[in-house]
Amino acid sequence: MHEAHPAPLIEGNKTYKQVTEEVFRPTESRPPKAWFFAIAVTLSMLSLGGWAIFNTLTRGIGTWGLNKTVGWAFDITNFVFWVGIGHAGTLISAILFLFRQHWRTSINRAAEAMTIFAVMCAGLFPIIHMGRPWVGHWALPLPNTRGPLWVNFRSPLLWDVFAISTYFTVSAVFWYIGLIPDLATQRDRAPEGSTKKRILSIASLGWNGSNKRWSRYETVYGLLAGLATPLVVSVHTIVSWDFATSVIPGWHATLFPPYFVAGAVFSGFAMVLSLMIVARKVMDFEEYITKAHLEAMAKVLLLTGMIVSFAYATEFFIAWYSGNQYERYVFLNRATGPFKWAFWTMVSCNVITPHFLWSKKVRTTPWILFILSIFVNIGMWFERFVIIVTSLHRDFLPSSWAMYKPTWIEVATLMGSFGLFLTLFLIFCRVLPMIAASEVKGVLKHGDH
Amino acid sequence: MAITRMKALLRSLPRPRQNEVPDSGVLRADFADPDELLAAVRFIRSKGLKVYDTYTPFPVHGMDEALEEPASRLPWVTGIMGLLGCTGAAALQYWTSVVDYPVVIGGKPLNSVPAFLPLLFELTVLIGGLGTVATFLLLSRMRPRMRTRNLHKGANDDRFILVAELGRGTTFETLSLELRGMGALETERLIQDARIKPCRCHWERELPLPKALGIALVPPVLILGAGIALNRDFRHRVPEWDAGMLAPTAAQAYDPSPVLAHGQVIQAPLEGTVARGAERPLTFAPGEAEALRAGLELRSPLPADEANLARGKVVWNRTCATCHGDGAKGDGGVIPRFPNPPNLLVQKYCDYPEGRIFHVATFGGPQKIMKGLEDLIPAPDRWRAVMYLKTLQAEAVKARAAAPAPAAATVPAPAAAPSSPAPAPAPSPAALPGAKP
Repeated sequence: MHEAHPAPLIEGNKTYKQVTEEVFRPTESRPPKAWFFAIAVTLSMLSLGGWAIFNTLTRGIGTWGLNKTVGWAFDITNFVFWVGIGHAGTLISAILFLFRQHWRTSINRAAEAMTIFAVMCAGLFPIIHMGRPWVGHWALPLPNTRGPLWVNFRSPLLWDVFAISTYFTVSAVFWYIGLIPDLATQRDRAPEGSTKKRILSIASLGWNGSNKRWSRYETVYGLLAGLATPLVVSVHTIVSWDFATSVIPGWHATLFPPYFVAGAVFSGFAMVLSLMIVARKVMDFEEYITKAHLEAMAKVLLLTGMIVSFAYATEFFIAWYSGNQYERYVFLNRATGPFKWAFWTMVSCNVITPHFLWSKKVRTTPWILFILSIFVNIGMWFERFVIIVTSLHRDFLPSSWAMYKPTWIEVATLMGSFGLFLTLFLIFCRVLPMIAASEVKGVLKHGDH
Repeated sequence: MAITRMKALLRSLPRPRQNEVPDSGVLRADFADPDELLAAVRFIRSKGLKVYDTYTPFPVHGMDEALEEPASRLPWVTGIMGLLGCTGAAALQYWTSVVDYPVVIGGKPLNSVPAFLPLLFELTVLIGGLGTVATFLLLSRMRPRMRTRNLHKGANDDRFILVAELGRGTTFETLSLELRGMGALETERLIQDARIKPCRCHWERELPLPKALGIALVPPVLILGAGIALNRDFRHRVPEWDAGMLAPTAAQAYDPSPVLAHGQVIQAPLEGTVARGAERPLTFAPGEAEALRAGLELRSPLPADEANLARGKVVWNRTCATCHGDGAKGDGGVIPRFPNPPNLLVQKYCDYPEGRIFHVATFGGPQKIMKGLEDLIPAPDRWRAVMYLKTLQAEAVKARAAAPAPAAATVPAPAAAPSSPAPAPAPSPAALPGAKP
């Protein structure tokens, strides 16, 4: 498909040498003071989360605010939230690659890194929410002496194990393969005999830019992108089936797979925007991650935001149209019950916020985009919270109805997951090239080849 | 001098095969632009010379065609590996869920194909992806290594490098000039450059695809095989667990019970079992002493109000009047045949406390002629009948006190006394009615 770009993808009329120098500068120089302050904050959050998880593991799930009625709350909300965020990275890497969207080259490295870190954060929660995480390996179909006992392959919770593991592995491999040429560049620039050069020599697998390798490399990249695309859709579909295969009104809906996938892309792009707007400013990458890039991401945000709004409307309509009193009550309770504050936060953040993006002025003003993306992140967290907690806390039998209140340990665990994510991202920015230099060079002159 | 020494050293190395490296050597040219590189490659190819490879910071499109590289067969690998993953997942799920550890969950068939689909897809992607990458790395001879082979300066930065043969009919100088005219920044002649080892050139002796695929499959097969072969415990079944899960001991509806005699499934309730919802048993036993004690201790739990007395009258007339008569005088419908109870309005019986009368109504009369009505009339109704009798007796007492007949004061007393013990043996129907007043 012949795509003509009216504006250059990368601004500043750069030469290849310039791209190399600018992209690798952050990895070769000492981080500025602001970075140390930032990592101090994120490490504090991480250690807070570490304390909270230690408490959970040693004192038990009783340290959380869960009860018989509301058996899932912050734990699964956070799990779905982080998995959803991971999906944007794969979408940018794989799906935009398949659609020949060359503007992805400035952001795909950071987006994929974000995916990997997000999936790491996500994987944390199913493990700690088990009563006995030290026998968590029982969730895998490993040969054993307990009968032998096998896992229940009919359970979506087990499908999750496979889906998240596959997603993490394939994303990590895809990210690593994409990194190899840049690792080679970094290796070539490293001082002779240094530890950095030694490590990079091992990591870059002897890459020398040979065309024979490049042609196979491109084939592999395309194959992995082709595999990762349905994988992304399938992973969040399987996560949505954790809920949809139950009988709880408000959960038992066939809408869930596309609803969740669209929501994942929505929240993921919001997180990418939040990170990229800060990173481009702080790391002087404004000519690489241009306003055009931000605008393109904003358009995706607008589209997926509208899909999510449509999904909300569909849920309400079907609940009413079905005539099922339990289904109707769940949605009535969401809007008017004890958790209505969470519901209306979700609606205002997710339904109203994207519509600011109709304005080109808004789409090309980074600080407004940043604020909107933060609102979307908040709204999407609350969406998962509302879906999980309001459907559980009042279902069929009124005598079972209960309220839920998170404990400090749960809140600290959430903060800790953000701490982990941001710490890893901050380290990534200074250790590895945040922009895919080889890919950017490839689209520098010919945006449409 | 150094060059002479080097030449001698190089000549002493094993000679390459004749048709792989031309005698005239190898040319390397550096360009600053990918289009220039592509044009140069085409130019050299047009001269019938071989271009060994190009080294660029990013893939240059059109280079594969210019170098006449065959299309990679890696997509086949993805397909084969993906299929492997799919069949592996199917085998795993089928064997564990249908053969080895069958458990009926939610009434679903053991081979729950719709439920198995997600894992089929995930493992297709996982094994397909990992297999492709492993094969790619093997094919390209990429592995963690300390020294990068055939690394040309700038190849990963901003230079586009080609390495071509110098064949007969071209000298290095001519070709070099031509390439500089096309934009080459630098050209260099390599004879047997240490960086290029012709007989072990990676592009000359590549790993053929089937071999690479086979190598990629060896580790998983080894691991699986080792897991099965070495882990003997896994094949040892635990009988207690098996018996519990495969042959549950829950009984069927019409199975004989191995516990009770004759295989019966239901037993009669134990002695003294009280039915659910039944009234509490009376804490008095049958017998004279107990009757006296009941008289002292037992009181009616119901108030003697109009409703209770009306009901009591109904119960009396329905049940008791047959023998005792409507007025409790012992002139019921079956009299004089049987059983000829005494007149309950005589003073002796009027003096009986209600508890004692209730004891009689429950357990039967002292002569054991009257049957206890415990199992026929519920306790509240029995009390109501007793209370009704008491009102009849009260009326009789009042009537006697109001109309004192001359013989009435003494006659009832001695008449009452012999009438109690008299009916103890089998009463003669003829004698008794006459004796009664």
